Amino acid sequence: MPGSIKTQAVVLRSIRYGEADRIVHLYSATRGRIGAIAKGSRRPKSRFGGRLEPFFRLNLVLYEGRGELLTVTGASTVAGHARLRADGGALMAAGRACDSMLRLFDDGEPNQPAYNLLCNYLSLLDADPAAASEPGAALAFRLKLALAAGFSPELGSCTRCGEAEHLSAFSGSAGGVVCSACEGDGFPMTEQAHRFMVEALARPLAEAPEAPGRVAALSDRAVTETLEHHAHVHLRAVA
Amino acid sequence: MYAGPISRLIGELSKLPGIGQRTAQRLAFHILRADDDDALALAEAIREVKEKVGLCEVCFNLSEGPRCRICEDERRDRSLICVVEEPADVIPIERTGEYRGVYHVLGGALSPIDGIDPEDLKIAELLERVDSGVSEVVLATNPTTTGEATALHIAASLRDRAGANGAVTVTRLASGLPVGADLEHADEVTLGKALAGRRALG
Ligand SMILES: [Zn+2]
Ligand SMILES: [Zn+2]
Repeated sequence: MPGSIKTQAVVLRSIRYGEADRIVHLYSATRGRIGAIAKGSRRPKSRFGGRLEPFFRLNLVLYEGRGELLTVTGASTVAGHARLRADGGALMAAGRACDSMLRLFDDGEPNQPAYNLLCNYLSLLDADPAAASEPGAALAFRLKLALAAGFSPELGSCTRCGEAEHLSAFSGSAGGVVCSACEGDGFPMTEQAHRFMVEALARPLAEAPEAPGRVAALSDRAVTETLEHHAHVHLRAVA
Repeated sequence: MYAGPISRLIGELSKLPGIGQRTAQRLAFHILRADDDDALALAEAIREVKEKVGLCEVCFNLSEGPRCRICEDERRDRSLICVVEEPADVIPIERTGEYRGVYHVLGGALSPIDGIDPEDLKIAELLERVDSGVSEVVLATNPTTTGEATALHIAASLRDRAGANGAVTVTRLASGLPVGADLEHADEVTLGKALAGRRALG
């Protein structure tokens, strides 16, 4: 039935609509993905100001009618991430993070860990734009997001036979590392890249390990192929 | 639901931005009711614009010939380039009467979500133009997240090439509170920028 809801959310995407409106894709703490229209929000006198731009974290009041889109009726800022906005690399990293959210979570199911992770990554990008937009942090975010979505790659032992030694390859279709006997359709995985993924998942996001060139490329491929095979989404390369 | 030609017209109209199925139907019936002359004038105008208007070979603004009117104008200052996202953005800047330089139209803004990368915009062409004796580049992309990302990317690219082309000044349109807005509704990022860019009065 129609009525108002209050929730905290991050603006993932903002699309100009009609003369003065915009449609926003939100990821909310309590309802997961939400699509909403903000009427008149592109007028200079709009009470929303620039708050409905991507990467704003907001306390929102939304009116839910019968249509698919909710209507934004109130917005106050929790975090505007001004420093992130002044750094080209951080803006691109935040854009890729929001793109992953859009692709991995496309329903109205809440996922509090995913929401917290996104908020955490945006604050890191704001606190230290240069470090947080490095491939190490960006990949750590993506690995943790895959975990929150239920598609984390298996890294402990061979995904096919359970062997704990000689884990020399990674298979997206198997969804994890594989041993030399089970390589099959996998691609060769270095020890450094394997260790990076294990540590990136174990450590807090703020302490993500560094990912030099080849480590980043292999880890990126591992996460991307796992998500392609198991979540059926294609994410853009991190680095 | 409707016979072939009508449903085709509705289909074409509903591809236009901001036009849904219902508006497309209303427009289609309006066109059906209109005089033959008016309706055909619309069709002719669409055909003519597609035939005659292309992109300027220098600045990628809309143009009826190989070069647009602004690039052809001898009085414009060619050492000053104003970079905008879309051809439509040239018009409001021209209307200010404050600008005497030339333009460069990127054809959009960087947006990872929409899959728009630097190669999809006329950025390489801009860098090439700057190499041939430009003293200032004004970044006038929109003050949106994607416009900001685009401006930062271009500024960084120009910095990287600075060795090759000497000193080119890169400026960004000031951003702050729009005329007529209320301070109490301004968002924190805008207000922060307005404060950082404050000027002495009198
Ligand atoms: Zn095995
Ligand atoms: Zn031109």
